[in-house]
Amino acid sequence: MSFLDIRNLKTYFTTKGGTVKAVDDISLQIEKGDALGLAGESGCGKTTTALTIMHLLPSNAIVLSGKIRFGDVDLLTIGEEKLRKDFRWKRMSMVFQGAMNALNPVFKVGEQITQAILTHEEITKESAWERVEELFSLVGINPARAKEYPHEFSGGMKQRAIIAMSLACDPELVIADEPVTALDVIVQAQILELMRSLRDKLGLSMIMITHDLSVIADTCNKAAIMYAGKIVERADSVTIFKQPEHPYTQGLIANFPSISGEMKPFEPISGSPPNLISPPSGCRFHPRCPYAMGICENKEPEIIELKRGHFVSCHLKRH
Amino acid sequence: MQKVKLRGYEKSIIKFWSQYMESKIGLFGLALLIFFVFVSAFANILAPYPVGPKDGDSKAILKPPTSKYVLGTDELGRDMLSLILYGGRVSLMIGMLSTLMTALIGTIVGVSAGYFGGNTEELLMRFTDIFLVIPGLPLMIVLASILGATFWNMIFVIGVLGWTGTARVLRAQVLSLKEKPFIESARAIGASDARIIGRHILPNVLPLIVAQMVLNIGSSILSASSLSFLGLGDPTHLSWGMTLHYAFGVGALFSNFYWYLIPPGFCITLVVLAFTFIGYSLDQIVNPRIRRR
Amino acid sequence: MGIGRVAIKRGINAIVLIGMVTVINFFLFRIMPGDPTTMMISPRMTHETRRIILHKFGLDQPLYVQFVRYIQQLLSGNLGISFIYQRPVLDLIVERIPNTVLLLLSSFIITVILSIITGLVAAWKRGSKLDISLIVFGLTMHALPIFWLGGLLLLYFSVQLDLFPVIGVSTPWLKHESVFSYVADVLHHLFLPMMTLGIGNIGGLFLITRNSLLDVFAEDYVTTARAVGVPSRTILFRNVLRNAMLPLVTIIMLRLGFIIGGAVTTETVFTWPGVGLLIYRSVMQEDYPVLQGAFLIITISAVLANFMAEIIYGYLDPRVRYE
Repeated sequence: MSFLDIRNLKTYFTTKGGTVKAVDDISLQIEKGDALGLAGESGCGKTTTALTIMHLLPSNAIVLSGKIRFGDVDLLTIGEEKLRKDFRWKRMSMVFQGAMNALNPVFKVGEQITQAILTHEEITKESAWERVEELFSLVGINPARAKEYPHEFSGGMKQRAIIAMSLACDPELVIADEPVTALDVIVQAQILELMRSLRDKLGLSMIMITHDLSVIADTCNKAAIMYAGKIVERADSVTIFKQPEHPYTQGLIANFPSISGEMKPFEPISGSPPNLISPPSGCRFHPRCPYAMGICENKEPEIIELKRGHFVSCHLKRH
Repeated sequence: MQKVKLRGYEKSIIKFWSQYMESKIGLFGLALLIFFVFVSAFANILAPYPVGPKDGDSKAILKPPTSKYVLGTDELGRDMLSLILYGGRVSLMIGMLSTLMTALIGTIVGVSAGYFGGNTEELLMRFTDIFLVIPGLPLMIVLASILGATFWNMIFVIGVLGWTGTARVLRAQVLSLKEKPFIESARAIGASDARIIGRHILPNVLPLIVAQMVLNIGSSILSASSLSFLGLGDPTHLSWGMTLHYAFGVGALFSNFYWYLIPPGFCITLVVLAFTFIGYSLDQIVNPRIRRR
Repeated sequence: MGIGRVAIKRGINAIVLIGMVTVINFFLFRIMPGDPTTMMISPRMTHETRRIILHKFGLDQPLYVQFVRYIQQLLSGNLGISFIYQRPVLDLIVERIPNTVLLLLSSFIITVILSIITGLVAAWKRGSKLDISLIVFGLTMHALPIFWLGGLLLLYFSVQLDLFPVIGVSTPWLKHESVFSYVADVLHHLFLPMMTLGIGNIGGLFLITRNSLLDVFAEDYVTTARAVGVPSRTILFRNVLRNAMLPLVTIIMLRLGFIIGGAVTTETVFTWPGVGLLIYRSVMQEDYPVLQGAFLIITISAVLANFMAEIIYGYLDPRVRYE
């Protein structure tokens, strides 16, 4: 049985302009210890997926259907209170996009982490602060700085602090949403290295959400590519990079510059991102696909397991 | 039938209007305002009796509402309803004229401070600070009593003190506009400051100025009514505040002349409310901060 | 330590402001169109008295000499003599300050508490019927002339229902056996004007509180707290409130002048013997020394109150405190 099993998830948003089909029937499985990279353009539904797992959707969102099995419960049916007490942060935590703002400016950094700990565990304040200091060492911040305020931390430090906070209650699953996008390249590398080592050290399972494929190449052993609310291809990362089968994935990988490889001209994927209120008919990618056939416009492709663990959703791959 | 091509700004006016129509509060305020403007403009037709100082009915002094005098009479025997109708003209005029002044001063100070920055900004902001800290009404009281209680003095006094809010808001807006690329490119082309301000900055801050003005009319009318109530209004231009002043003066409070007290204040509240509602809706549309939410 | 630096910086600012206000005060009363000496001379005086007074007060001297004398007098606590009461202006003001302070403080507490509660409720239940009615209520309070509200309350509760006294701060002819009965009497008189100012000033503050809370709700650190699993109530009172209070302090600072102005008209309506009523009377009776003195005192108080608010803000916001 998989560690985390998402089946046929649909999350829609009701807005003034119409219903946004942000996540439209996706399925994924993660085994314990996996790091799954969830990639795609902005607005393709990656963050919404994460928020659905964590039950943090805004009020205009509806989860239409699906199952999210974590351990032996379906996260979508267990109720807010149980989720809050037993799952959020204790078994699964999240590192948000734009972590700079995830820290409350009027409280000390350490205090915010102790709040996280004390919400879930009945320990003394001193023990909580001790844990904070341990966590700081773990992520590479001087423990003495736990009593400082967020504005005294640099961007990279804030990111480390947020990572520390996500580990505060010893979770099994960590979802990281664009954890390094806002940082400069050198700090990016440091943080990714940190996340890799933490994963090894603590035996964590991770979902890494990003639009930057290099991050996936760096840290993830599995990858899922999302487009317009659907997962178009899913496999382990080596396969995705070396043998992408879906035209969209191929387009993404083709533009992935390589230091050692040959010089290639940039071939951007033509067209613009789809409208999620009224998405293209049939295969969502067909307006931009260089190999589109008649059937692509009319019928949504099914998900086929091409090889073991390699899933694609495309009419071209019919065997 | 000819097809009409809509120009850019016409499109944005239509877009703006359709956004405004969505706000029930805004529509209600607008309706209320139109009602009062209409009634004030046609006061001379609608008012059943004249309200000059000699027009009182000496046989009907301080009478409660009757069929003859629908809202009662004042101490000179004048009809309350007519007084209210004519009073609206004065109150609205004072509000609007002083707001014009406020808008002018506020725009000059705010845009200059935001655009020119440096010492100019520092100086102008310090200047604004003084006006912010000094309590508004007491200063108005002092000015009005020194200058004398006339219609135009009151407009001046209110106008010359009410611009600080507008100045601040505009400065903030200009500061964020300054960073935008189109300003930089205009400068690179070699446009003069005057041209940049006139062609690029002012049109962009205009919606904000208008929203501020609407809110300002409301507070101007309130200030005017406070000043008038305290006796600093022009006796020859009977505003609603002045009516309340006279009401207080003849002991309406203690003698329970409710018809003298309730209508003027009620009208002030409704008119200011109209402007406040409109201003609130405008603010929701125009203020970039709120839109983001 | 940041807050020390804030105190010094804003303190110097306050002193400069007070200086400017004093200068403005001096010149204001000399700009009267026509005869500039009329401000200091009551129109009731005879010609001879006028000449003597002019000379005594140095009003026949050049302006800069007068200014120096003015400053000297101020520093020795001399604010002039009232035309009407024939007593030192400073005494008149000092007698009345406690009443005004009592009224302002008590109503201010009510305003702040009510604004925070209503702002919280409205922001928490954003978009609900309750929220909309509160907004309408707040906007209406904002539009209401405060003195008119006072008048209505007085009319209904005092005159018609006879529940509260109609004027003054205490009943003059009542002999009080104990401190308690005196305090009770004062509170009885205080209730209506306090509620008038307390409720009348809510309008602006309520809307700002609500907006500020909504801003904070949208912040990432609130989503993080929810993600962490902190219960909603705790988030509200711990994480959100501290942040939302900061703009509130700023707004209170900006509206201090407005609140003081409201006191003037309210004291007039309720015949509450404070500095506001003194100002009203001095305007009516053309008692310019009193007007000038009271204005100066009020303005200086406003500057000082502003200064205190800035210190409080500096204390609350760690970004300022730990520069």
